[in-house]
Amino acid sequence: MFRRFHRSIAALGVLLTLWPIPGAATLQEDLAGLGNGSFATRMAAVTRLGASGAGAVVPALQALLDGRLHRRLADDRVVVAEERGSVLILTDPLTGAELAQTTPDAVDKIRINNRLRTLIRATLGGLTLRSPDPAQRLVAAQAVFKGRDFDLEPTLRQVLEREAEPAVKAAMTKALAALRLANPGESAVRVAAATTLATFGGQEVRALLAEVAATNPDGTPREADPEVHRAAVAGLALVEERLRLMNGVGNLFQGLSLGSVLLLAAVGLAITFGVMGVINMAHGELVMLGAYTTFLVQELFRNHFPDAFGWSLALAVPLAFLVSGLFGVAMERGVIRFLYGRPLETLLATWGLSLMLQQLVRSLFGPTNQEVGNPAWMSGAIETAQGLVLTWNRIAIILFALAVIAGLALILRHTPLGLQMRAVTQNRPMAAAMGIRTGWVDALTFGLGSGIAGVAGVALSQIDNVSPNLGQAYIIDSFMVVVFGGVGNLWGTLLGAFSLGIVNKLLEPVAGAVLGKILVLVGIILFIQKRPRGLFALRGRAVEA
Amino acid sequence: MTTAAHRPDDTILYLDAISVSFDGFKALDGLSFYVRRGELRAIIGPNGAGKTTMMDVVTGKTHPDIGQVIFADRVDLTRLDEARIANLGIGRKFQKPTVFETQTVFDNLELALAGDRGLWAALFFRLDPAQRQRIDQVLETVRLTDHRHRLAGHLSHGQKQWLEIGMLLMQNPQLLLVDEPVAGMTDEETQRTAQMLKEIARSRSVVVVEHDMAFVKSLDCRVTVLHEGAVLAEGSLATIQANERVIEVYLGR
Amino acid sequence: MTTRHHLPGFLTGDRGGLVLLTLVLGAALLVPAGNLLLAESHPLHVPTYLVGLLGKYLAFALLALAVDLIWGFAGILSLGHGAFFALGGYAMGMYLMRQIGARGVYGHPVLPDFMVFLDWQQLPWYWYGFDLFPVALLMVFLVPGALALVFGWFAFRSRVSGVYLSIITQAMTYALLLAFFRNDMGFGGNNGLTDFKDLLGFDLQADATRAALFSATALALAGGYLLCRFITASKLGRVLRAIRDAESRTRFLGYRVEHYKLFVFVVSAMLAGLAGALYVPQVGIINPGEFSPANSIEIIIWVAVGGRGTLFGAVLGALLVNYGKTWFTGALPEAWLYLLGGLFIGVTLFLPRGVVGLLVGRRRDLEGSP
Repeated sequence: MFRRFHRSIAALGVLLTLWPIPGAATLQEDLAGLGNGSFATRMAAVTRLGASGAGAVVPALQALLDGRLHRRLADDRVVVAEERGSVLILTDPLTGAELAQTTPDAVDKIRINNRLRTLIRATLGGLTLRSPDPAQRLVAAQAVFKGRDFDLEPTLRQVLEREAEPAVKAAMTKALAALRLANPGESAVRVAAATTLATFGGQEVRALLAEVAATNPDGTPREADPEVHRAAVAGLALVEERLRLMNGVGNLFQGLSLGSVLLLAAVGLAITFGVMGVINMAHGELVMLGAYTTFLVQELFRNHFPDAFGWSLALAVPLAFLVSGLFGVAMERGVIRFLYGRPLETLLATWGLSLMLQQLVRSLFGPTNQEVGNPAWMSGAIETAQGLVLTWNRIAIILFALAVIAGLALILRHTPLGLQMRAVTQNRPMAAAMGIRTGWVDALTFGLGSGIAGVAGVALSQIDNVSPNLGQAYIIDSFMVVVFGGVGNLWGTLLGAFSLGIVNKLLEPVAGAVLGKILVLVGIILFIQKRPRGLFALRGRAVEA
Repeated sequence: MTTAAHRPDDTILYLDAISVSFDGFKALDGLSFYVRRGELRAIIGPNGAGKTTMMDVVTGKTHPDIGQVIFADRVDLTRLDEARIANLGIGRKFQKPTVFETQTVFDNLELALAGDRGLWAALFFRLDPAQRQRIDQVLETVRLTDHRHRLAGHLSHGQKQWLEIGMLLMQNPQLLLVDEPVAGMTDEETQRTAQMLKEIARSRSVVVVEHDMAFVKSLDCRVTVLHEGAVLAEGSLATIQANERVIEVYLGR
Repeated sequence: MTTRHHLPGFLTGDRGGLVLLTLVLGAALLVPAGNLLLAESHPLHVPTYLVGLLGKYLAFALLALAVDLIWGFAGILSLGHGAFFALGGYAMGMYLMRQIGARGVYGHPVLPDFMVFLDWQQLPWYWYGFDLFPVALLMVFLVPGALALVFGWFAFRSRVSGVYLSIITQAMTYALLLAFFRNDMGFGGNNGLTDFKDLLGFDLQADATRAALFSATALALAGGYLLCRFITASKLGRVLRAIRDAESRTRFLGYRVEHYKLFVFVVSAMLAGLAGALYVPQVGIINPGEFSPANSIEIIIWVAVGGRGTLFGAVLGALLVNYGKTWFTGALPEAWLYLLGGLFIGVTLFLPRGVVGLLVGRRRDLEGSP
């Protein structure tokens, strides 16, 4: 958090230097005071610099905080020194103008102690609270919340009155309440502060309230004021309750995210296994081919259209569908069609295909991981005040998975291929008698399932290592999803994937990642005993021979 | 119509208000009828009338939602599994001939031979002369004596049907359920099969599900008509053929 | 063939089996002799590394036999038999670990090195008794057997069969793989159990011990063959084949299909456990990698190559494929996975009855794929 604070302030330095500098002469004097030997003098100088309210002092104070502010031995001038190779570049702390280049022994670093550091931070906070940029003010308000320097209370109160931006206003209100609660003061004000804080919630607020609500080893409250203590305890309970909820939501999100990955990996399988009854052990390798297609597309973009890199996935998706789909059709025509009605043999033959595909990719690309990048729009995250972090790539994958399954449902329901597929599944001889080329439909169905595996590979390449073993990592989980959800039912696959993902993630904090996974596997093994045909099994009446 | 209220003492099988539904579809809807000891009974009805489901319920493949199946006046079959029911003395012949195709005709019959079905008995089993004689007898009955060492998979369709009937005879059941035994048979095979079933019915009860009216006629027995999972009519073939409702839903005008 | 009359009934007519038994028992005598009695310069001298390699093959052959018993005869395609093999191996490994005693790197009198390294204070309860060979030997059978019993009871009772069963057996071995990778399971985690010193007081590095292990493996293979042959030639074997070909029909004949499947599954798991126990001292290590699903599927191809449903075919297949693997991974490592993959495809497409099917021809049309 602080790192980000520093960075944004440093970035703002350029902008701030354009501000009019009131009484530049006095500022220079105060700045010189920073070079003074005694900490007391330096603290006074920092306070005066802060009181000036001038934006120009921000980079200077920041430099002091970062240990870049130096005193030039020759003339005692306070300068910012940046190392560049073996020389130091000296610049003016207020204007940023380059003064000279020198050697490291020509300057003396201005040291700060902890008290000074706290003061600088608070001062920086006060200064940026008045910044014209709302983003800066927001950052500053958050900094004040953390620093809890009561000296800033009047400033904060002033700026709060004038603040128009709702988000900034909220952050300032929260910071003000924190200041008031954390420092001695009127009972009613502090109680109100505790209540206000509780409405915000979050880890930080929880820590703050917990401090006030804490008790001594003998059970008496550490806080002297009983009313404040009571308000803090009540607030803490509220915040913790909400945090638990948020934690649950966070786990749920993780679960959804894992579920969507499982869904993508399994939905192609749901077609080949569910609709055609073909156990395709090479399904994972078709996913892997999709991931490698993404890699190749990205290489192409990197080398030829680096500016359009953000669009690489838009090309990778259809291409991966084609590549894996064609491999799938070739597999079906070349091997699988000779094995219909012999599921165990199909399983073995496709396992053979999977070994060959792995080795093929290993021979072509090597056994190591390939670099696949996230486009810019997929990096970053949504963060809520309560501390919930939802990363964009995960969100994108959830949406993508849902889109894929929706598209698939449309294909199955509303296209001629979908109709023929269902016809062939339900009654092959009758479909054939009606002039449907069943062999052709088989090949296309298998191609569709395989193509979707390729598309899944594009998505997985965004969150996982792209290596020849990529497919192996998902094949067992995908089978579990299909078996759990029930064969031949997209709804079952959807529900199976998400429930397995969520259960996995809910178990993780309790049992640990590996044990959680083992428990899920054991759970499915037991579940299959109860419902051997999965969640959404159709009960038939025909006697199988 | 026969109802549960006045069933005779010598019932071997009694279905009492059986209902079964699959995903909302009512395959059997309060089906009730009884079969007497030593009776040969034909069951007819249109597709989806519940004939096969009825057999599934009696043999334990399907458990009904409600209702009871009383066998030999004492056992409720609805909670038992297939093996237990088979060992109580109920044999079943599938619609599609199912024999053990990679084993010889003789071995097929030996597997069906009545006796201890336990693991150890199977592991240390030795065929005694009496049992061998019994197998020879059945081979004779189903006219497969000359084929005893052939693989069952190499038999003709009709011979497989007979082998399956032979296996049922080896089980020595009190009640035999036979599902469409003459489907796909030549006329001559059909006549032979009718003979066989009648012979078998001399010593035990047989229920035959059939579509082929000529075959039902040659069985010359009481007929039950199923429709939408319940009994529509029952009686001699002549009565049935005269029944207005049966003509309407099944036989056609 | 006058000797035929002196054979037990279940071996009558089993020409392939008799050839196999003769070869295996002959090897049990000749290989150690060639190693121990002949000088190294002698053309028929069997080098020690070869004794170990052949011993490993024979352990695999026993494993293949176990898989063939359930797949070839009862139609149960287990993709998790590597788990039973590994459990047997771990049971033996635990005994060998305890035999190290204070000779480990850390010199702790009781705790194996990895436990000392993890800062454990005492032996976990499930390691008790493994210092005694008879207990360990019992566990070699009992642990895989118990797992097969519980797993099979659940699976067969609720009639999970066909590919569903294959998939959950795969999930079973995968779950065990994950579990055994964990350090706190107490089986050495990632590294497994290794650095063994001796077995029943004999130095594992000594030529004589290795030769004896080879002979023991050959005898176990012969014994395993006789057991499997006895089972499959009995009426029980015919019931199993009946289940494989028409499960429903078998049920309606009054056989408790689940009992039969469970019986043969447990026997098979125990044989696999024995194979694992013989394998571990010969290769000197057991680690969680043995649980990997890929290993289990590889066993299937041994059986398929040899010819499923013919016991000696399974043995032949295991020897052929493993010899091929040794040769190819040495000479053409890149090509091995292509070849193995090709084997899976080729055998299922063109050779459903395996090499034995080729040798025997169509004379006996028993035991084809259903």
